[in-house]
Amino acid sequence: MRLYDIVVVLSPEETPEQATALADGFKKILTDDGAQIKLEEVWGRRRLAYTIAKRREGIYYYWQVEAKAETVAELERKLRLSDDVLRHLAVRADEELKRSVKLKKRRDAKAAAKPKKTPAEPAAPEAPAEA
Amino acid sequence: MRRDFKKDKKTGNRKKFFVRRRKACKFCVEKIEYVDWKDVKTLQGFIPERGKILPRRISGVCSLHQRKLQTAIKRARAIALLPYATD
Repeated sequence: MRLYDIVVVLSPEETPEQATALADGFKKILTDDGAQIKLEEVWGRRRLAYTIAKRREGIYYYWQVEAKAETVAELERKLRLSDDVLRHLAVRADEELKRSVKLKKRRDAKAAAKPKKTPAEPAAPEAPAEA
Repeated sequence: MRRDFKKDKKTGNRKKFFVRRRKACKFCVEKIEYVDWKDVKTLQGFIPERGKILPRRISGVCSLHQRKLQTAIKRARAIALLPYATD
């Protein structure tokens, strides 16, 4: 199971009910396959930065999902087939998260080690730690 | 450049120089590790009128963060949060 960020841009012609129905349908594809939706944000109608299929607006949905790779691949396939979806994006979010945790650990370790060294040599411990 | 400026001041050269401030990486200063592609407001600061990605030579962003910024901008472009080009 991996953490994914998924954004779906729906065509502005959908009525609010249609849009939520579509979004629920996509969510169902995920949850039916054992995925967990960690975060859901409805960004709503937004102006597109450039026209897509003569549309100037789009209805944005954002989910953070913990899912298997196959589940996301299947969702992406369906998104591509759907005519109501202008754009979609599914990217992994766990790699950055892991990295930031690792960096934080390192920084905390450094901060914990620092106070002992500073009285003896103020500037010296900086250089080797960075390299 | 900075050394020249100092020298000129000492020798009394009248040539005008601007004191150039050292540019600092915005993300390092604010301790932002993850450049979020959903955060359009921040990304827009690195998109000049033409829609191109601002070079770090100008913005002063460090190479690590510039690379992250680059992928973030490209992702935002893919879902029409940011333009590929404007004219």
